[in-house]
Amino acid sequence: MGSGDSVDEPPDTCSSAGAFARAWAKAVAGTSYLPMTDAQLETLLQRLTDLLSEALRAEPLDLRVGHKVADELVNAHIASAEALGRTVEVIQLRLVRDLDLVCDDVEDRMARLLAAVATGYARALRDRTLDEQESIRRAALTARAEAEQALRASEARFRHQATHDPLTDLPNRTLFAERLAAAVGGTAGSGRRVGLCFVDVDRFKRVNDSFGHQIGDRALVAAARRLRRAVEPHLVARLGGDAFVVLVERSTGTGDVVAVAEAALAALSEPVVVDGHDVTVTASVGVVERRVAGTSPDDLMRAAGSTLHWAKTAGGARWALYDAERDGREQARQELSAAIPAGLERGEFFLDYQPLTSLQNGSLLGMEALVRWRHPQLGVLRPDSFIGLAEETGLIVPLGGWVLAEACREAVGWRATSGEPPYVSVNLAVRQVHRPGLVQEVQALLRRTGLPPERLQLEITESTMMTTAEEPVRALRALADLGIRIAIDDFGTGYSNLAYLRDLPVTELKVAGEFVRGLRAPEARADERILASLVSLAHALDLTVTAEGVETGGQAERLRAIGCDAGQGWHFGRPAPADHILARLK
Amino acid sequence: MALQRPDWAPETIDVERPSVARMYDYYLGGSHNFAVDRAAARAMVAAVPQAPLMAQANRAFLRRAVQFLTAAGIRQFLDIGSGIPTVGNVHEIAQRHAPDSRVVYVDVDPVAVAHSREILAGNDRTTVVQEDLRHPDRILAHPDVRAVLDFSRPVAVLVVAVLHFVADDDRPAEVLRTLRSALAPGSYLVLSQASDDGRDEAERTEAEEVYRRTDNPLWVRSRAELTGFFDGFELVEPGVVWVPQWRPETPESAEDAERAVFLGGVGRLGG
Repeated sequence: MGSGDSVDEPPDTCSSAGAFARAWAKAVAGTSYLPMTDAQLETLLQRLTDLLSEALRAEPLDLRVGHKVADELVNAHIASAEALGRTVEVIQLRLVRDLDLVCDDVEDRMARLLAAVATGYARALRDRTLDEQESIRRAALTARAEAEQALRASEARFRHQATHDPLTDLPNRTLFAERLAAAVGGTAGSGRRVGLCFVDVDRFKRVNDSFGHQIGDRALVAAARRLRRAVEPHLVARLGGDAFVVLVERSTGTGDVVAVAEAALAALSEPVVVDGHDVTVTASVGVVERRVAGTSPDDLMRAAGSTLHWAKTAGGARWALYDAERDGREQARQELSAAIPAGLERGEFFLDYQPLTSLQNGSLLGMEALVRWRHPQLGVLRPDSFIGLAEETGLIVPLGGWVLAEACREAVGWRATSGEPPYVSVNLAVRQVHRPGLVQEVQALLRRTGLPPERLQLEITESTMMTTAEEPVRALRALADLGIRIAIDDFGTGYSNLAYLRDLPVTELKVAGEFVRGLRAPEARADERILASLVSLAHALDLTVTAEGVETGGQAERLRAIGCDAGQGWHFGRPAPADHILARLK
Repeated sequence: MALQRPDWAPETIDVERPSVARMYDYYLGGSHNFAVDRAAARAMVAAVPQAPLMAQANRAFLRRAVQFLTAAGIRQFLDIGSGIPTVGNVHEIAQRHAPDSRVVYVDVDPVAVAHSREILAGNDRTTVVQEDLRHPDRILAHPDVRAVLDFSRPVAVLVVAVLHFVADDDRPAEVLRTLRSALAPGSYLVLSQASDDGRDEAERTEAEEVYRRTDNPLWVRSRAELTGFFDGFELVEPGVVWVPQWRPETPESAEDAERAVFLGGVGRLGG
């Protein structure tokens, strides 16, 4: 503490300082937001008042006190131009008076101290402003960078979604098409080879049917995961449903791709447990492998698809390798079958007939209609080159319908030299017989053409009757009731089930040519005995018998001796237009 | 009008448009703002001269409310629409009184969020989440929110000076109901928003016009509407009042309270 000459301190300094601090607080309140209570503000300003008053008295005058007071104000957020103005004002007006400060050059000291406060305040405020500006700009940069990053991530996610299957997360058709195009395109090395495995789970619908789609989906996810692992590093894509495809780039030969197919089959054939269910599946794979030069993505995909179909039709659970010759044949057949509708439209089909001749008196009983196709490129085609196709594709229905209508239209104009004109015999395919509306169709046809029903014979095969459905039987009864003749074609080559001879309104049996051919060899008595029993059986049931494939007079004679009613074959006439056959009779 | 944004692209930021968070900072005397914010803020002051005072009064209300809640034993705060948490932010006030206080800030403004994250770095009792008050379910389900706050214990939800940016079509009452349904008994709701009680039409229209140029148009509401938002809560004394009147420190500081434009109140979830 001081010696004897210490400055006298007025006893009420504290309360005076308190009054000053309150006045100061009031002056700065509201100049900017102050994050403190009024009491906290006063406490702070009280302390700063003490600092200032000490500074004014101290020798020498320490201007750093002015800077410190200014710093504290700004740091306490008493930081605005108004706050500085009012601070200067209140100190200048009241500090000396309120605290009753006595010293020689108080005005001079006050001016210098206030200048230090103002300088320090301006500096602190400027620093703070610059810091805050820097901080908000940094935040804006960060936010912008984050937004851009989010945008890029979102773009990547979008790109992923657009190129991947949502269920299995495998690449989808789009990405696969891109990669395949890149693999096949490009110029590097004309000797490059590429392979595809077209993988399809066998009868996958059964999994869905027995376990439900949810488990089916999870089984697919499991299958996809295994497939991907099994054929790494090759690209596996899901094309949809249970179909996958593996792209083998830079193949060195068929062996590479077959190895991938075998790995895929092995991976898929292991049972997978989904929700406690053992789901076991097999798969089929179509494998195609070839040089990049001269092929295209479409070619490859089509070839792989056809090959997969071969694996499926061979029973599944296997791979099949693409075979260009087989594919060529199938494609030709495919094209031929696709041309049938247009051929019908353009009238490329026509009918030839083959006589059905009485073995008793040689008269012409009827004629069987045989369809021909005058193909614009391939010339005249016989039925064996397109009927099978038409049956597979269902085109037999319109084609058969045309044959029936055309045959009826032609037959109604046939005239006999004596007695009844010949009937017309038309083959009906299985699909035609099974189609609802057959009876009405035939009725309408007879009405339209005016052909008497007894002059129409419909030939059906034994296989037509090998069904448990009642509809075809009812249809045939209805047709027979109209008076139409019903013949069983190629009798004796199928199951020759006698039961339907009892149940069906059959009028005639056409015995297959095999039995007739046997009649040529004198020692083959078995055929003759079979034929004889067939004839007696037929006659016992009131059916007539026509023998097909009669080629010689000897055969005709034998058949007549057995009691066979009619014959058909080269011996009696080859297929020809109806008017040629009718003209020969005159 | 912004360019058409594809629906898969996230919102990008645009510092060319004024931000209410940064305008608010300007009113509080801060420098965390850009020229565009200051221009909008000055236009606002021209329309409503007491705008800075409103912001300051509202900020002081927030401070007193947090002090009240801390004294009432609340240690968890969810501050939705926190803006730029500079002077007098919630965690500073709360943690000064109770250092174990936990605070989650939520704001829709990406710059405010980035700035908050910088300020909060190193304070593991606080976090910031970018989300919109209009999606309270997303706020409540946010993993960062759940990591800091325990909703089985009381939480104070602060919706201060932000509800007037939620249009009636966005169903503010439903937003608050959703928030309430997540709270444990003993939780609190602190609300304040601009009100047109006793305000003349011209002044109101002009202020709304200024905010329409920002990303956030203004929806002023009556005292009755604001009181209705406390549905399910028991209002603590003195109820919904002009913010300077809410538990003032000195009688003088509550003078001319209606000039503050903001009404505010604090409600407690009973049970």
